[in-house]
Amino acid sequence: METMKKQTASQSQKLMVFVLTMALYGLATLFTELIPSFQVGIVEFSVEYFLFIPLTLAMLFDPMSVALGAATGELVFSEIMLGQFGGLGELEKFITLTIGIYIAGRMVANPAKRKMVGIAAMSGVVIQQFLGMVVDILKVQFAVTDFEAVAGLPESVFATEGFAFLNDVLFSGILFCLLPTLFLVPKLYGKIEPLLGMAPRTKETALGAINPKVIIGCVIAFAAAVCSEMLAESGMAIIDWEAGWAGSTTALAVGMIVAAVAAIIILVVMKKMAEPKHEEEMG
Amino acid sequence: MSGMTRKLSDNILDKFSMDFLRNQVLKNAYGNDDTLIAKMDPRVLIAWYLFFGIVPWFANDLIFLLMSFMIVVVTTLMARVAGLVLALFILGVFSQTGYLLIATLIFGGDASAIVPLLILTLKVATISLASITVFSGLDPDRLANGLMWYKCPERLSFSISYAYRMLPMLMEEFQNVLLSYRMRGNPPDNSTFTGKIKYLVYQVKVIIHAFYPLMLNTAKRSRTTVEALEIKGYRYAAVNKEVKKMKLASLKVTYNDMIFLAVSFLCVSISLLLTSIL
Repeated sequence: METMKKQTASQSQKLMVFVLTMALYGLATLFTELIPSFQVGIVEFSVEYFLFIPLTLAMLFDPMSVALGAATGELVFSEIMLGQFGGLGELEKFITLTIGIYIAGRMVANPAKRKMVGIAAMSGVVIQQFLGMVVDILKVQFAVTDFEAVAGLPESVFATEGFAFLNDVLFSGILFCLLPTLFLVPKLYGKIEPLLGMAPRTKETALGAINPKVIIGCVIAFAAAVCSEMLAESGMAIIDWEAGWAGSTTALAVGMIVAAVAAIIILVVMKKMAEPKHEEEMG
Repeated sequence: MSGMTRKLSDNILDKFSMDFLRNQVLKNAYGNDDTLIAKMDPRVLIAWYLFFGIVPWFANDLIFLLMSFMIVVVTTLMARVAGLVLALFILGVFSQTGYLLIATLIFGGDASAIVPLLILTLKVATISLASITVFSGLDPDRLANGLMWYKCPERLSFSISYAYRMLPMLMEEFQNVLLSYRMRGNPPDNSTFTGKIKYLVYQVKVIIHAFYPLMLNTAKRSRTTVEALEIKGYRYAAVNKEVKKMKLASLKVTYNDMIFLAVSFLCVSISLLLTSIL
């Protein structure tokens, strides 16, 4: 049978996996957003993220649905629900998280093999954190004008970002990703799949090892993430460009104010006109 | 003394209990639908957000940024956002730029670093407050409809509606699982320092173990959800134009929306005028 060759899920099963990951990871990120982190010396003990949830699920189910579900879950639960939505920055987080989880999920051919599960879990964290660090450094470099001119800022950004990366990988990576994944994957393997009406992943039904196509896709996706930040940089010229109009800027601004005031007056009058009419109709 | 500190930590833990979090999140989502912001058309509000969520990133002018910041402060007050969200916002802004300032000073920077960092802080704060206004102020269902009108992926609007409905249930279930672990478990003595570390490790372990039953239960539930959706023809309806039209028929732009936009526009133009004069 064709379906036996690859672990292909039907559309509705993919939706199930998506919903499952979204709900679980969303709940977990909601907690991490709320739990304050505490510092011991220079090591920050924060429950950085419950990345083990999507990592575990990505090794058992269709990696793409899990990756998208996890990224959406984080976006919806912890960003939109708590009003932490950061605009442009979220796109980059969404993409790096998707890449990290997807690659980790693809790496595991047989979830029963603990060694591979461990390697994949760590690679997922390292990829995600490293891409995040690169984008973070670029972001600060572009957001602050005269980046090089500010004394001490470049070093501090590299130092804090680099340290945060190492801290996340060594502390959160091992404690909150590697160990829980090693514990959960073998335990869930063969038990959770039937609940969604699927066959467990085996070596024969796995999607196959990571091929150049996957890598190229990831590189393109990451380039898109960086590009969105670059666009922000080029957009900085908008205000300068307006200033380039020199004398006419004032005139333009006055014109805009007059237009805005006129619009407000007209709208208020129209609203007042509309209200009594409505009441008459009611009466 | 030790009794007092324990009492204090108990008190804080009480405040930060699962119920408190659940209430705050729910209050944020459904508690304030009588505000002016909540009654606005989601499409207009999203368009407004696109301006205040993106333009400040590009602008470097202090006056413009201050003005935008004041606008979003006013709208945030209008939306009557839950206290927890505002506390998170303040913490978030500080953790994004406040620590950078400290690090800069350590690495031998001086007062010259303050102005660029102030600009960066204003940018971050304006964008976050704009998003708090829109995403916390709006009813989740209206927000989902608005996003759908902008042709966002159907999955996203579905996720938002689903998340708000499922969250209380998920939180309760997680709490129940944790409580049952606590009931059956035997936590290590936490009076000494090593005991405290052991206790922390034990707590983390319990949380991770709790995800095992939670994953299985959620898997069952998500299968039920998707099957129910299938019965109602969700996947077909999601891409059907007629269905979408019916769903979005309730959206209506009112005068209030227009006035809101015009006032925002007025403030922005005033800031531009000030920029060009000064």
